[in-house]
Amino acid sequence: MSLENCIKILIKYYPSFLLGIRTTLIVSFSGTLIGLAIGLLAGGFRAVRLDKTASAGSKCLKRAIDVLLKIYIEFFRGTPMMVQAVFIYYMVYTNIVHWDKMVAAIVVISINTGAYMSEIIRSGIQSVDPGQNEAARSLGMSSMQTMMDVILPQAIRNAFPAICNEFIVNIKDSSVLMIISITELMFQSNSVAGTTYRFTETYFVTAMIYLLLTMISSFLFHHIELRMNHTKTSFPQSDTNIYSMKIAKEKTQ
Amino acid sequence: MSVIEIKNVKKSFEGNVVLSDVSFEVKKGEVVCLIGASGSGKSTLLRCINLLEDIDEGQIIVLGKDIEKLRNINEYRKKVGMVFQQFNLFNNMNVLDNCMLAQIKVLKKSKEEARQEAIRQLEKVGLAEFIHAYPSTLSGGQKQRVAIARALCMDPEILLFDEPTSALDPEMVGEVLNVIKELAEEDMTMIIVTHEMKFAQDVSDKVIFMDDGIILEEGMPSEIFIHPKNERTRQFLARIIS
Repeated sequence: MSLENCIKILIKYYPSFLLGIRTTLIVSFSGTLIGLAIGLLAGGFRAVRLDKTASAGSKCLKRAIDVLLKIYIEFFRGTPMMVQAVFIYYMVYTNIVHWDKMVAAIVVISINTGAYMSEIIRSGIQSVDPGQNEAARSLGMSSMQTMMDVILPQAIRNAFPAICNEFIVNIKDSSVLMIISITELMFQSNSVAGTTYRFTETYFVTAMIYLLLTMISSFLFHHIELRMNHTKTSFPQSDTNIYSMKIAKEKTQ
Repeated sequence: MSVIEIKNVKKSFEGNVVLSDVSFEVKKGEVVCLIGASGSGKSTLLRCINLLEDIDEGQIIVLGKDIEKLRNINEYRKKVGMVFQQFNLFNNMNVLDNCMLAQIKVLKKSKEEARQEAIRQLEKVGLAEFIHAYPSTLSGGQKQRVAIARALCMDPEILLFDEPTSALDPEMVGEVLNVIKELAEEDMTMIIVTHEMKFAQDVSDKVIFMDDGIILEEGMPSEIFIHPKNERTRQFLARIIS
Protein backbone atom coordinates (compact mmCIF):
# COMPACT_ATOMS: atom_id res chain seq x y z
CA MET A 1 0.00 0.00 0.00
CA SER A 2 1.32 3.45 -0.82
CA LEU A 3 -0.01 6.86 -0.03
CA GLU A 4 0.55 7.86 -3.63
CA ASN A 5 -1.88 5.24 -4.86
CA CYS A 6 -4.42 6.34 -2.28
CA ILE A 7 -4.25 9.88 -3.58
CA LYS A 8 -4.49 8.66 -7.17
CA ILE A 9 -7.61 6.68 -6.34
CA LEU A 10 -9.11 9.63 -4.54
CA ILE A 11 -8.44 11.97 -7.49
CA LYS A 12 -9.70 9.56 -10.10
CA TYR A 13 -12.78 8.33 -8.28
CA TYR A 14 -13.73 11.34 -6.17
CA PRO A 15 -17.18 11.69 -7.79
CA SER A 16 -18.01 8.17 -6.60
CA PHE A 17 -16.80 8.97 -3.10
CA LEU A 18 -18.69 12.28 -3.09
CA LEU A 19 -21.92 10.54 -4.04
CA GLY A 20 -21.24 8.03 -1.27
CA ILE A 21 -20.65 10.80 1.28
CA ARG A 22 -23.82 12.53 0.19
CA THR A 23 -25.96 9.43 0.53
CA THR A 24 -24.36 8.48 3.84
CA LEU A 25 -25.02 11.95 5.26
CA ILE A 26 -28.59 12.06 3.99
CA VAL A 27 -29.37 8.62 5.39
CA SER A 28 -27.72 9.19 8.77
CA PHE A 29 -29.05 12.69 9.25
CA SER A 30 -32.66 11.93 8.38
CA GLY A 31 -32.41 8.62 10.25
CA THR A 32 -31.20 10.39 13.38
CA LEU A 33 -33.90 13.07 13.18
CA ILE A 34 -36.77 10.67 12.56
CA GLY A 35 -35.28 8.30 15.14
CA LEU A 36 -35.25 11.18 17.63
CA ALA A 37 -38.92 11.84 16.92
CA ILE A 38 -39.72 8.16 17.46
CA GLY A 39 -37.59 8.19 20.61
CA LEU A 40 -39.39 11.23 22.00
CA LEU A 41 -42.78 9.61 21.47
CA ALA A 42 -41.82 6.14 22.66
CA GLY A 43 -39.49 7.19 25.49
CA GLY A 44 -41.89 9.91 26.62
CA PHE A 45 -44.81 7.54 26.58
CA ARG A 46 -42.92 4.91 28.54
CA ALA A 47 -41.89 7.44 31.18
CA VAL A 48 -45.42 8.76 31.79
CA ARG A 49 -47.00 7.53 35.01
CA LEU A 50 -50.77 7.48 35.01
CA ASP A 51 -52.67 9.04 37.90
CA LYS A 52 -54.37 6.62 40.21
CA THR A 53 -57.66 8.20 39.23
CA ALA A 54 -57.14 7.16 35.60
CA SER A 55 -59.77 4.75 34.29
CA ALA A 56 -59.08 1.03 34.18
CA GLY A 57 -59.33 1.18 30.39
CA SER A 58 -56.61 3.73 29.97
CA LYS A 59 -54.42 1.86 32.45
CA CYS A 60 -54.82 -1.31 30.36
CA LEU A 61 -54.09 0.55 27.15
CA LYS A 62 -50.98 2.12 28.67
CA ARG A 63 -49.77 -1.32 29.80
CA ALA A 64 -50.38 -2.85 26.40
CA ILE A 65 -48.56 -0.08 24.52
CA ASP A 66 -45.71 -0.24 27.04
CA VAL A 67 -45.27 -3.96 26.30
CA LEU A 68 -45.34 -3.37 22.53
CA LEU A 69 -42.77 -0.60 22.84
CA LYS A 70 -40.55 -2.80 24.96
CA ILE A 71 -40.73 -5.55 22.31
CA TYR A 72 -39.90 -3.00 19.60
CA ILE A 73 -36.92 -1.67 21.53
CA GLU A 74 -35.59 -5.10 22.42
CA PHE A 75 -35.97 -6.40 18.87
CA PHE A 76 -34.19 -3.51 17.19
CA ARG A 77 -31.45 -3.24 19.77
CA GLY A 78 -30.94 -6.98 19.86
CA THR A 79 -30.60 -7.74 16.14
CA PRO A 80 -27.99 -6.43 13.66
CA MET A 81 -29.08 -3.50 11.52
CA MET A 82 -27.84 -5.37 8.46
CA VAL A 83 -30.35 -8.14 9.13
CA GLN A 84 -33.08 -5.60 9.85
CA ALA A 85 -32.31 -3.88 6.55
CA VAL A 86 -32.64 -6.96 4.35
CA PHE A 87 -35.60 -8.28 6.28
CA ILE A 88 -37.62 -5.07 6.16
CA TYR A 89 -36.63 -4.21 2.61
CA TYR A 90 -37.60 -7.58 1.14
CA MET A 91 -40.64 -8.04 3.34
CA VAL A 92 -42.15 -4.78 2.17
CA TYR A 93 -40.92 -5.29 -1.39
CA THR A 94 -42.49 -8.71 -1.83
CA ASN A 95 -45.60 -8.28 0.29
CA ILE A 96 -46.65 -4.66 0.13
CA VAL A 97 -45.08 -2.35 -2.39
CA HIS A 98 -42.05 -2.11 -4.68
CA TRP A 99 -40.41 0.64 -2.78
CA ASP A 100 -37.41 2.81 -3.37
CA LYS A 101 -34.20 1.53 -1.80
CA MET A 102 -33.32 4.93 -0.47
CA VAL A 103 -36.69 5.17 1.29
CA ALA A 104 -36.15 1.68 2.67
CA ALA A 105 -32.71 2.66 3.97
CA ILE A 106 -34.07 5.74 5.75
CA VAL A 107 -36.94 3.76 7.22
CA VAL A 108 -34.62 1.05 8.54
CA ILE A 109 -32.10 3.41 10.06
CA SER A 110 -34.90 5.54 11.57
CA ILE A 111 -36.62 2.61 13.23
CA ASN A 112 -33.29 1.27 14.45
CA THR A 113 -32.21 4.65 15.83
CA GLY A 114 -35.66 5.14 17.32
CA ALA A 115 -35.15 2.10 19.53
CA TYR A 116 -31.91 3.50 20.92
CA MET A 117 -33.32 7.03 21.16
CA SER A 118 -36.29 5.80 23.22
CA GLU A 119 -33.90 4.54 25.85
CA ILE A 120 -31.78 7.70 25.66
CA ILE A 121 -34.85 9.91 26.10
CA ARG A 122 -36.22 7.71 28.86
CA SER A 123 -32.99 7.91 30.83
CA GLY A 124 -32.87 11.66 30.09
CA ILE A 125 -36.33 11.95 31.61
CA GLN A 126 -35.26 9.93 34.63
CA SER A 127 -32.29 12.24 35.12
CA VAL A 128 -34.63 15.21 35.65
CA ASP A 129 -35.11 15.96 39.35
CA PRO A 130 -38.43 14.43 40.53
CA GLY A 131 -39.09 17.73 42.31
CA GLN A 132 -39.72 19.32 38.91
CA ASN A 133 -42.59 16.92 38.35
CA GLU A 134 -43.97 17.43 41.85
CA ALA A 135 -43.86 21.21 41.50
CA ALA A 136 -45.71 21.15 38.19
CA ARG A 137 -48.29 18.69 39.46
CA SER A 138 -48.81 20.68 42.67
CA LEU A 139 -49.77 23.65 40.47
CA GLY A 140 -52.52 21.54 38.91
CA MET A 141 -50.77 20.71 35.65
CA SER A 142 -51.68 17.35 34.11
CA SER A 143 -49.02 14.69 33.62
CA MET A 144 -49.07 15.38 29.88
CA GLN A 145 -48.60 19.13 30.32
CA THR A 146 -45.85 18.50 32.85
CA MET A 147 -44.08 16.18 30.44
CA MET A 148 -44.27 18.55 27.47
CA ASP A 149 -43.49 21.84 29.16
CA VAL A 150 -41.25 20.95 32.07
CA ILE A 151 -39.72 17.49 31.87
CA LEU A 152 -38.99 16.89 28.18
CA PRO A 153 -37.16 20.18 27.53
CA GLN A 154 -34.83 19.39 30.40
CA ALA A 155 -34.53 15.73 29.44
CA ILE A 156 -33.52 16.61 25.88
CA ARG A 157 -30.99 19.07 27.21
CA ASN A 158 -29.51 16.42 29.51
CA ALA A 159 -29.52 13.80 26.78
CA PHE A 160 -28.05 16.10 24.12
CA PRO A 161 -24.57 14.51 24.06
CA ALA A 162 -26.07 11.03 23.75
CA ILE A 163 -28.41 12.20 20.98
CA CYS A 164 -25.48 13.67 19.03
CA ASN A 165 -23.56 10.47 19.54
CA GLU A 166 -26.34 8.58 17.78
CA PHE A 167 -25.70 10.67 14.66
CA ILE A 168 -22.02 9.76 14.73
CA VAL A 169 -22.87 6.11 15.24
CA ASN A 170 -25.26 6.34 12.29
CA ILE A 171 -22.60 7.78 9.98
CA LYS A 172 -20.56 4.65 10.63
CA ASP A 173 -23.33 2.09 10.90
CA SER A 174 -25.15 3.22 7.77
CA SER A 175 -22.33 1.32 5.98
CA VAL A 176 -24.25 -1.90 6.57
CA LEU A 177 -27.07 -0.51 4.42
CA MET A 178 -24.91 -1.35 1.39
CA ILE A 179 -26.59 -4.75 1.73
CA ILE A 180 -29.67 -3.28 0.06
CA SER A 181 -27.35 -1.53 -2.44
CA ILE A 182 -27.98 2.12 -1.82
CA THR A 183 -25.15 4.37 -2.96
CA GLU A 184 -23.76 5.16 0.46
CA LEU A 185 -20.04 5.45 1.10
CA MET A 186 -19.31 1.78 1.75
CA PHE A 187 -21.22 0.63 -1.32
CA GLN A 188 -19.39 3.18 -3.47
CA SER A 189 -16.06 2.10 -2.03
CA ASN A 190 -16.82 -1.49 -2.91
CA SER A 191 -17.42 -0.54 -6.52
CA VAL A 192 -14.26 1.57 -6.62
CA ALA A 193 -12.27 -1.30 -5.13
CA GLY A 194 -13.87 -3.68 -7.63
CA THR A 195 -12.77 -1.48 -10.50
CA THR A 196 -9.23 -0.71 -9.34
CA TYR A 197 -8.46 -4.04 -7.62
CA ARG A 198 -6.56 -1.91 -5.08
CA PHE A 199 -8.50 -3.00 -2.02
CA THR A 200 -6.15 -1.80 0.68
CA GLU A 201 -5.75 1.70 -0.71
CA THR A 202 -9.43 2.13 -1.52
CA TYR A 203 -10.62 1.07 1.90
CA PHE A 204 -7.93 3.17 3.54
CA VAL A 205 -9.39 6.18 1.71
CA THR A 206 -12.86 5.08 2.85
CA ALA A 207 -11.73 4.82 6.45
CA MET A 208 -10.20 8.30 6.29
CA ILE A 209 -13.39 9.75 4.86
CA TYR A 210 -15.47 8.15 7.66
CA LEU A 211 -13.00 9.43 10.22
CA LEU A 212 -13.20 12.93 8.76
CA LEU A 213 -17.01 12.88 8.78
CA THR A 214 -17.24 11.71 12.39
CA MET A 215 -14.55 14.13 13.56
CA ILE A 216 -16.22 17.11 11.93
CA SER A 217 -19.56 16.08 13.44
CA SER A 218 -18.23 15.67 16.94
CA PHE A 219 -16.38 18.99 16.64
CA LEU A 220 -19.62 20.72 15.62
CA PHE A 221 -21.66 19.06 18.35
CA HIS A 222 -19.05 19.91 20.93
CA HIS A 223 -19.37 23.56 20.01
CA ILE A 224 -23.14 23.53 20.03
CA GLU A 225 -22.94 21.99 23.48
CA LEU A 226 -20.54 24.67 24.69
CA ARG A 227 -22.85 27.34 23.30
CA MET A 228 -25.76 25.77 25.18
CA ASN A 229 -23.74 25.82 28.39
CA HIS A 230 -22.86 29.46 28.03
CA THR A 231 -26.25 30.89 27.23
CA LYS A 232 -28.66 32.09 29.85
CA THR A 233 -30.82 29.08 29.22
CA SER A 234 -28.28 26.78 30.78
CA PHE A 235 -29.23 25.14 34.00
CA PRO A 236 -26.46 23.55 36.01
CA GLN A 237 -27.67 20.80 38.30
CA SER A 238 -27.00 22.57 41.55
CA ASP A 239 -25.85 25.78 43.15
CA THR A 240 -22.57 24.19 44.11
CA ASN A 241 -21.80 23.91 40.41
CA ILE A 242 -22.18 27.61 39.83
CA TYR A 243 -20.33 28.34 42.99
CA SER A 244 -17.35 26.19 42.06
CA MET A 245 -17.43 27.67 38.55
CA LYS A 246 -17.29 31.13 40.06
CA ILE A 247 -14.36 30.18 42.25
CA ALA A 248 -12.54 28.67 39.29
CA LYS A 249 -13.16 31.86 37.33
CA GLU A 250 -11.90 34.05 40.12
CA LYS A 251 -8.77 31.95 40.43
CA THR A 252 -7.93 32.31 36.77
CA GLN A 253 -8.37 36.06 36.86
CA MET B 1 -65.28 26.90 59.50
CA SER B 2 -62.72 24.17 58.95
CA VAL B 3 -61.14 24.17 55.51
CA ILE B 4 -58.93 21.20 56.27
CA GLU B 5 -59.97 18.26 58.41
CA ILE B 6 -57.51 15.45 58.95
CA LYS B 7 -59.19 12.43 60.48
CA ASN B 8 -57.29 9.43 61.83
CA VAL B 9 -54.79 9.43 59.00
CA LYS B 10 -52.39 6.52 58.80
CA LYS B 11 -49.54 6.09 56.38
CA SER B 12 -46.62 3.73 56.16
CA PHE B 13 -43.88 3.13 53.64
CA GLU B 14 -43.17 -0.58 53.19
CA GLY B 15 -44.12 -1.49 56.74
CA ASN B 16 -42.38 1.56 58.17
CA VAL B 17 -45.11 3.53 59.94
CA VAL B 18 -44.73 7.24 59.27
CA LEU B 19 -48.13 8.52 60.36
CA SER B 20 -50.08 6.58 62.94
CA ASP B 21 -53.46 8.09 63.62
CA VAL B 22 -53.13 11.82 63.02
CA SER B 23 -56.14 14.12 63.37
CA PHE B 24 -56.45 17.89 63.38
CA GLU B 25 -58.35 20.75 61.82
CA VAL B 26 -57.40 24.00 60.14
CA LYS B 27 -59.87 26.87 60.04
CA LYS B 28 -60.13 29.41 57.29
CA GLY B 29 -57.42 32.05 57.56
CA GLU B 30 -55.55 30.10 60.18
CA VAL B 31 -51.80 29.60 60.14
CA VAL B 32 -50.75 26.23 61.50
CA CYS B 33 -47.12 25.36 62.10
CA LEU B 34 -46.05 21.73 62.25
CA ILE B 35 -42.95 21.25 64.33
CA GLY B 36 -41.05 18.20 65.46
CA ALA B 37 -37.85 16.26 64.89
CA SER B 38 -36.86 15.02 61.44
CA GLY B 39 -38.64 11.82 60.55
CA SER B 40 -41.64 12.58 62.70
CA GLY B 41 -43.93 12.59 59.66
CA LYS B 42 -44.51 16.33 59.21
CA SER B 43 -43.50 16.49 55.56
CA THR B 44 -45.29 13.27 54.71
CA LEU B 45 -48.48 14.68 56.17
CA LEU B 46 -48.13 17.78 54.03
CA ARG B 47 -47.46 15.71 50.95
CA CYS B 48 -50.57 13.65 51.68
CA ILE B 49 -52.66 16.82 51.80
CA ASN B 50 -51.41 17.70 48.31
CA LEU B 51 -51.91 14.11 47.11
CA LEU B 52 -48.23 13.66 46.37
CA GLU B 53 -48.61 10.61 48.63
CA ASP B 54 -51.67 8.45 49.23
CA ILE B 55 -52.85 7.78 52.74
CA ASP B 56 -53.47 4.20 53.88
CA GLU B 57 -56.34 4.87 56.25
CA GLY B 58 -58.40 7.77 57.48
CA GLN B 59 -59.79 10.80 55.74
CA ILE B 60 -58.49 14.15 54.59
CA ILE B 61 -61.31 16.58 53.92
CA VAL B 62 -60.30 19.81 52.23
CA LEU B 63 -62.80 22.54 51.31
CA GLY B 64 -65.61 20.13 52.12
CA LYS B 65 -64.44 17.25 49.95
CA ASP B 66 -62.74 13.96 50.74
CA ILE B 67 -59.60 14.30 48.64
CA GLU B 68 -59.09 10.54 48.27
CA LYS B 69 -62.36 10.38 46.37
CA LEU B 70 -61.72 13.30 44.04
CA ARG B 71 -62.42 12.79 40.36
CA ASN B 72 -60.13 15.56 39.22
CA ILE B 73 -56.92 15.94 41.17
CA ASN B 74 -55.69 18.85 39.06
CA GLU B 75 -58.83 20.83 39.78
CA TYR B 76 -58.13 20.35 43.50
CA ARG B 77 -54.41 21.06 43.31
CA LYS B 78 -54.84 24.46 41.75
CA LYS B 79 -56.64 25.56 44.91
CA VAL B 80 -53.93 24.22 47.18
CA GLY B 81 -50.49 25.69 46.57
CA MET B 82 -47.31 24.03 47.72
CA VAL B 83 -43.87 25.43 48.41
CA PHE B 84 -41.02 22.93 48.57
CA GLN B 85 -37.84 22.75 50.58
CA GLN B 86 -35.80 22.47 47.37
CA PHE B 87 -37.77 25.29 45.65
CA ASN B 88 -38.30 23.14 42.52
CA LEU B 89 -38.39 26.07 40.15
CA PHE B 90 -38.60 24.97 36.53
CA ASN B 91 -34.96 25.08 35.49
CA ASN B 92 -35.68 25.41 31.81
CA MET B 93 -37.49 28.73 32.03
CA ASN B 94 -36.95 32.17 33.48
CA VAL B 95 -38.64 33.57 36.57
CA LEU B 96 -41.52 35.12 34.65
CA ASP B 97 -42.28 31.94 32.70
CA ASN B 98 -42.09 29.95 35.92
CA CYS B 99 -44.92 32.06 37.25
CA MET B 100 -46.89 32.16 34.00
CA LEU B 101 -46.83 28.53 32.89
CA ALA B 102 -49.51 27.04 35.14
CA GLN B 103 -51.71 30.12 34.84
CA ILE B 104 -51.82 29.62 31.09
CA LYS B 105 -52.01 25.82 31.11
CA VAL B 106 -54.27 25.26 34.11
CA LEU B 107 -56.25 28.46 34.63
CA LYS B 108 -56.43 28.99 30.84
CA LYS B 109 -55.52 32.65 31.19
CA SER B 110 -54.27 34.69 28.25
CA LYS B 111 -50.53 35.37 28.12
CA GLU B 112 -51.06 39.03 28.95
CA GLU B 113 -53.27 38.31 31.98
CA ALA B 114 -50.81 35.69 33.20
CA ARG B 115 -47.93 38.08 32.74
CA GLN B 116 -49.60 40.84 34.71
CA GLU B 117 -50.51 38.52 37.55
CA ALA B 118 -46.99 37.08 37.58
CA ILE B 119 -45.45 40.54 37.76
CA ARG B 120 -47.89 41.55 40.50
CA GLN B 121 -46.93 38.55 42.62
CA LEU B 122 -43.23 38.93 41.89
CA GLU B 123 -43.43 42.56 43.01
CA LYS B 124 -45.07 41.38 46.18
CA VAL B 125 -42.13 39.11 47.00
CA GLY B 126 -39.72 41.86 45.95
CA LEU B 127 -38.33 40.26 42.82
CA ALA B 128 -39.84 42.37 40.06
CA GLU B 129 -36.42 43.19 38.63
CA PHE B 130 -35.49 39.52 38.26
CA ILE B 131 -38.27 38.47 35.89
CA HIS B 132 -35.87 37.54 33.09
CA ALA B 133 -33.37 35.72 35.30
CA TYR B 134 -33.01 31.96 35.15
CA PRO B 135 -33.29 29.97 38.39
CA SER B 136 -29.64 28.89 38.23
CA THR B 137 -28.54 32.51 38.59
CA LEU B 138 -30.62 33.23 41.71
CA SER B 139 -29.73 32.79 45.36
CA GLY B 140 -31.63 30.26 47.44
CA GLY B 141 -33.71 32.94 49.13
CA GLN B 142 -34.63 34.48 45.80
CA LYS B 143 -35.55 31.08 44.39
CA GLN B 144 -37.83 30.36 47.33
CA ARG B 145 -39.53 33.74 46.96
CA VAL B 146 -40.11 33.02 43.27
CA ALA B 147 -41.57 29.66 44.27
CA ILE B 148 -43.96 31.42 46.64
CA ALA B 149 -44.92 33.91 43.93
CA ARG B 150 -45.49 31.04 41.52
CA ALA B 151 -47.85 29.39 43.99
CA LEU B 152 -49.64 32.69 44.66
CA CYS B 153 -50.22 33.24 40.94
CA MET B 154 -52.73 30.40 41.04
CA ASP B 155 -54.75 32.34 43.63
CA PRO B 156 -54.85 29.34 45.97
CA GLU B 157 -57.17 29.06 48.96
CA ILE B 158 -54.61 27.16 50.98
CA LEU B 159 -50.82 27.22 50.94
CA LEU B 160 -48.62 24.38 52.17
CA PHE B 161 -44.99 25.04 53.04
CA ASP B 162 -42.64 22.08 53.33
CA GLU B 163 -39.66 23.35 55.32
CA PRO B 164 -39.38 26.48 53.16
CA THR B 165 -36.16 27.71 54.76
CA SER B 166 -34.31 24.47 55.52
CA ALA B 167 -32.22 24.55 52.35
CA LEU B 168 -31.26 28.21 52.76
CA ASP B 169 -28.15 29.92 54.04
CA PRO B 170 -28.90 31.57 57.39
CA GLU B 171 -28.79 35.12 56.04
CA MET B 172 -31.49 34.30 53.48
CA VAL B 173 -33.96 32.77 55.89
CA GLY B 174 -35.32 36.17 56.96
CA GLU B 175 -36.35 37.37 53.52
CA VAL B 176 -38.42 34.22 52.94
CA LEU B 177 -40.00 34.25 56.39
CA ASN B 178 -40.98 37.90 55.92
CA VAL B 179 -42.88 37.03 52.78
CA ILE B 180 -44.72 34.25 54.63
CA LYS B 181 -45.48 36.61 57.51
CA GLU B 182 -47.07 39.08 55.11
CA LEU B 183 -49.27 36.30 53.77
CA ALA B 184 -50.29 35.42 57.32
CA GLU B 185 -51.35 39.02 57.86
CA GLU B 186 -53.51 38.81 54.75
CA ASP B 187 -55.30 35.84 56.34
CA MET B 188 -54.07 33.23 53.91
CA THR B 189 -54.77 29.73 55.22
CA MET B 190 -51.41 28.04 55.61
CA ILE B 191 -49.81 24.91 56.97
CA ILE B 192 -46.12 25.38 57.52
CA VAL B 193 -43.63 22.66 58.36
CA THR B 194 -40.71 24.44 59.92
CA HIS B 195 -37.71 24.26 62.20
CA GLU B 196 -37.72 28.03 62.77
CA MET B 197 -39.21 28.14 66.26
CA LYS B 198 -39.10 31.90 66.68
CA PHE B 199 -40.96 32.28 63.39
CA ALA B 200 -43.49 29.60 64.31
CA GLN B 201 -44.17 31.38 67.57
CA ASP B 202 -44.67 34.76 65.85
CA VAL B 203 -46.71 33.74 62.88
CA SER B 204 -48.92 30.83 63.83
CA ASP B 205 -52.39 30.66 65.28
CA LYS B 206 -51.82 27.05 66.19
CA VAL B 207 -48.73 24.94 66.68
CA ILE B 208 -48.72 21.19 66.33
CA PHE B 209 -45.87 19.16 67.76
CA MET B 210 -45.43 15.83 66.04
CA ASP B 211 -43.30 12.95 67.16
CA ASP B 212 -43.01 9.49 65.68
CA GLY B 213 -46.08 9.81 63.50
CA ILE B 214 -48.47 11.12 66.10
CA ILE B 215 -49.50 14.53 67.36
CA LEU B 216 -48.17 14.84 70.89
CA GLU B 217 -49.37 18.31 71.57
CA GLU B 218 -51.28 21.07 69.83
CA GLY B 219 -52.34 24.51 70.90
CA MET B 220 -51.69 28.23 70.79
CA PRO B 221 -48.03 29.13 70.26
CA SER B 222 -47.89 30.62 73.75
CA GLU B 223 -49.02 27.32 75.27
CA ILE B 224 -46.68 25.14 73.29
CA PHE B 225 -43.60 27.30 73.45
CA ILE B 226 -43.90 28.72 76.94
CA HIS B 227 -45.79 26.05 78.85
CA PRO B 228 -45.39 22.78 77.00
CA LYS B 229 -47.33 20.05 78.78
CA ASN B 230 -45.63 17.06 77.24
CA GLU B 231 -42.19 15.93 78.34
CA ARG B 232 -41.09 15.16 74.73
CA THR B 233 -42.14 18.63 73.61
CA ARG B 234 -40.18 20.16 76.42
CA GLN B 235 -37.07 18.16 75.51
CA PHE B 236 -37.42 18.97 71.82
CA LEU B 237 -37.84 22.70 72.41
CA ALA B 238 -35.00 22.81 74.91
CA ARG B 239 -32.71 21.12 72.42
CA ILE B 240 -33.66 23.24 69.42
CA ILE B 241 -33.86 26.64 71.09
CA SER B 242 -30.60 26.45 73.04
